[in-house]
Amino acid sequence: MTAIRKERQGQDMALTAGIVALIVVFSLLPMVRLLQEIILPGGRFSLDIIRLGLIDETTWRATWNTLVVGLGGTLFALVLGVAVAILVSMSNVRQRQAFVLCFVTPLMIAPQVTALAWLQLFGPSSPLLNMLGMAPPLGTRNPLYSPEGIVFLLGIQYAPLVFLIVRAGMRKLPRELVEAAQSSGAGWVRVLGTIILPLMTPSIVGAAALTFVSCVGNFGIPAFLGIPANYLVLPTLIYQRLAGGGPAVLSEVAFLSVLIGVIAMIGIVMQDRIASRRDFRITSTSLPAAPYQLGVWRLPVEFGMWALIALILVLPLVGLILTSLVRGYGVTLTAETATLENYYFVIFQHAAASRAFLNSLYLSAGASIFAVFVAIPLGYVIAWGNKRWIKALNLAIELPYALPGVVLAIASLLLFLKPMPITGIQIYNTVWIILYAYLARFLILAVRPTITGYFQLDRALEEAARVAGAGLFMRMRTIIFPLIAPAAIAGGLLIFMTALCELTVSALLWSSGSETIGVVIFSFEQGGDSKYAAAVSAIMVATTFLLMLLASLFANKLPDGVLPWRD
Amino acid sequence: MGRQSTIRSVAFAAALLTSTAAFAENLVLYTSQPDADAAETVDAFKAANPGIEVEIFRSGTSDLMTKLAAEFAAGSPQPDVLLIADAVSMETLKKDGHLMAYPEANVEGFEEAAYDAEKTYFGSKLITTGIAYNTAAAEKPEHWSDLTGEAYKDLTIMPSPLYSGAAAYLLSAFVNRDDLGWDYFENLKENGHVAVRGNGAVLKSVASGEKAYGMLVDFMAMNAKKDGSPIEFVFPEEGVTAVTEPVAIMSTAKNPDAAKKFVDFILSDDGQKLALKQGYLPAKPSVGSPDWLPEGTEINVMTVDVKKVVDEIGGNKEKFSSMFGG
Repeated sequence: MTAIRKERQGQDMALTAGIVALIVVFSLLPMVRLLQEIILPGGRFSLDIIRLGLIDETTWRATWNTLVVGLGGTLFALVLGVAVAILVSMSNVRQRQAFVLCFVTPLMIAPQVTALAWLQLFGPSSPLLNMLGMAPPLGTRNPLYSPEGIVFLLGIQYAPLVFLIVRAGMRKLPRELVEAAQSSGAGWVRVLGTIILPLMTPSIVGAAALTFVSCVGNFGIPAFLGIPANYLVLPTLIYQRLAGGGPAVLSEVAFLSVLIGVIAMIGIVMQDRIASRRDFRITSTSLPAAPYQLGVWRLPVEFGMWALIALILVLPLVGLILTSLVRGYGVTLTAETATLENYYFVIFQHAAASRAFLNSLYLSAGASIFAVFVAIPLGYVIAWGNKRWIKALNLAIELPYALPGVVLAIASLLLFLKPMPITGIQIYNTVWIILYAYLARFLILAVRPTITGYFQLDRALEEAARVAGAGLFMRMRTIIFPLIAPAAIAGGLLIFMTALCELTVSALLWSSGSETIGVVIFSFEQGGDSKYAAAVSAIMVATTFLLMLLASLFANKLPDGVLPWRD
Repeated sequence: MGRQSTIRSVAFAAALLTSTAAFAENLVLYTSQPDADAAETVDAFKAANPGIEVEIFRSGTSDLMTKLAAEFAAGSPQPDVLLIADAVSMETLKKDGHLMAYPEANVEGFEEAAYDAEKTYFGSKLITTGIAYNTAAAEKPEHWSDLTGEAYKDLTIMPSPLYSGAAAYLLSAFVNRDDLGWDYFENLKENGHVAVRGNGAVLKSVASGEKAYGMLVDFMAMNAKKDGSPIEFVFPEEGVTAVTEPVAIMSTAKNPDAAKKFVDFILSDDGQKLALKQGYLPAKPSVGSPDWLPEGTEINVMTVDVKKVVDEIGGNKEKFSSMFGG
């Protein structure tokens, strides 16, 4: 008996130690290295950086703007993501799988591509508006260049993220409660307001926190739309400082990064507060509730859903494909100008592109698989464990994701430039440093949905197994993993899609032979070769789409609910 | 998995990680040249100097400088040789003692303005910034000042100096001129002028007709025109600014001999002809001029005091970004 208890304690200890080691290596280490740059610039203790940063009026303006677009973007993404999740999960709309597949794909398309497609579509040279004779006169200022434009684009960009998390939560919705309410005569508004939304609170709040952190740290969208609007946020201010150069630049940047970190932390702490105020656990899963009959509204609703897809997916994709099929940017596509040369070049002639394609595929697959297997025990300790200090430590995982990629890249550079102590292994200039940075940055994308999932699970099954004498690892494998897998794998999928075309981290960390696809696209873009960039992007979107379809083929071999686009 | 196999796989991973150390003797190049051009340059260098392997890191000038700053902070700068957009960045590095002088470099046939007097960096080509316009545009600009006119209202665009070294150079050159100065940028702002992230974005905007006129580097406009984009390019009469894409050896170079050979190659007639073939204006006038330039065209390049620009550029960028946001 005591031997068994000892073994169990040993397993608990091993789990805790492993979790702590992971958090230290992937989250605390880079943050501590950045802090060192702030208070020990060049090896001497000084608080000047903090003092100068705090009295700078620009810092405060950027901080305020960051909060505004962060909250605005989160709100918009939430409304869109939750609405779509409810429609898809609860109503009888048709073609759900195809719709979900299309709805999550925009995660793959760089926001600049989407933004440019819209700028053109609603701009003076729009082929569509010109055909209708409604094109605005030359020189009309585009409304997307504004804080509202930034909020709008952030919302569109992160709505699939909200959707994936809330949808994973919806699968746990107890049919009994919904049916009980319906048979007592409750209308759909009442069912939604008193049963579904309250039970979904952990998912929704969890998604909100993650979206907020994403919006606050986003660089691409404010850089594209904010600069022409003279609207500065912290990530663009950081880039501005970096471009300014000078000896103290790393310290200044590290200070601004900490500001972003603080804002993100406030968001997470608030989420924990709200989520732990009430108990949202649901007794095991049942069959999904009978779909709500939309009746005459079904057709209009379906029309609206596909109009949304046209706006967020088809439109940018068409722009991308049109660009990739002509020799020069701005050339109209006709039978004479159409060419496959660009595809031929990036596939057969440009050695780096195909290498980068494989690199990115391995990196994002590696990062997402590792993250899923880390997230399950990590979430277990955080959500169901009783050690308060671990919960505090969990906040640290959030930080690397909230930082703009370039800052995390700098931290990784500073950490790994010299060979590691004792082992003498050097990962700088290899693909491993990129993998490290990806794990540090994206781990949270799997951890957050998993924790949310745990909050919605009833522990009864696990406790029963414990009483029956199952050890921790046994329970992990047979009880916990199957229950939590949908949530964790939804997170893994998020990582895969986000990491596949990632640019800002790898931009500083790649080396000959370890290029990533994001770097290749950006290099083409920067050199004025948008046609090649478009061809590579189009290939990437097509590949991911095929991968997702392929995964569907194996859906019946996977735990239920793992693929978000399958019922 | 047994312990034995765990150890074996750890050892294997370690071997993978350290395998790159075997190439430590290679020449490490950091460059901001466009992807395809950089690869071509390296291939030509390797053909001329068999036996030297080149490791290359390519990115925008500001990203390169960020990576270098981090490497300096960690006390381990990696590159042997740099080939980056402008002399201003080189001057900044030189001031902190990061560049090595190469007095024996052969600068015969180059203009004196093209290289550093102390022979720490050497201009390899001339990349000018002029005005590109969409072929559907109503006006044909001839002067920089045209862009502030009523006919150009809300139709003009430029790369932000924070993201483009060439634009930062143009900014510093313009504000020091009596005929342009900060007034010019004030007027541009009044006229609805916008700054965007990089030359590539300006090209897209003008080629797609989103804006009609843009400040743009020459080769990008000309290459796009060759590809059929609806775009034209002019050198305004006041003159144009030109960055020189200098090459320099790091004072911490681990492989200075190969680095010197790289500089020799860039400055050689072969190296200059390669730049010409890629559509650039070579720094050595005697090798010729690119085919997009009509025969006998005199390009009026503004004279700029680089040392002065180095001191002012930080403040100029800050003032610009408070006006234009980027």
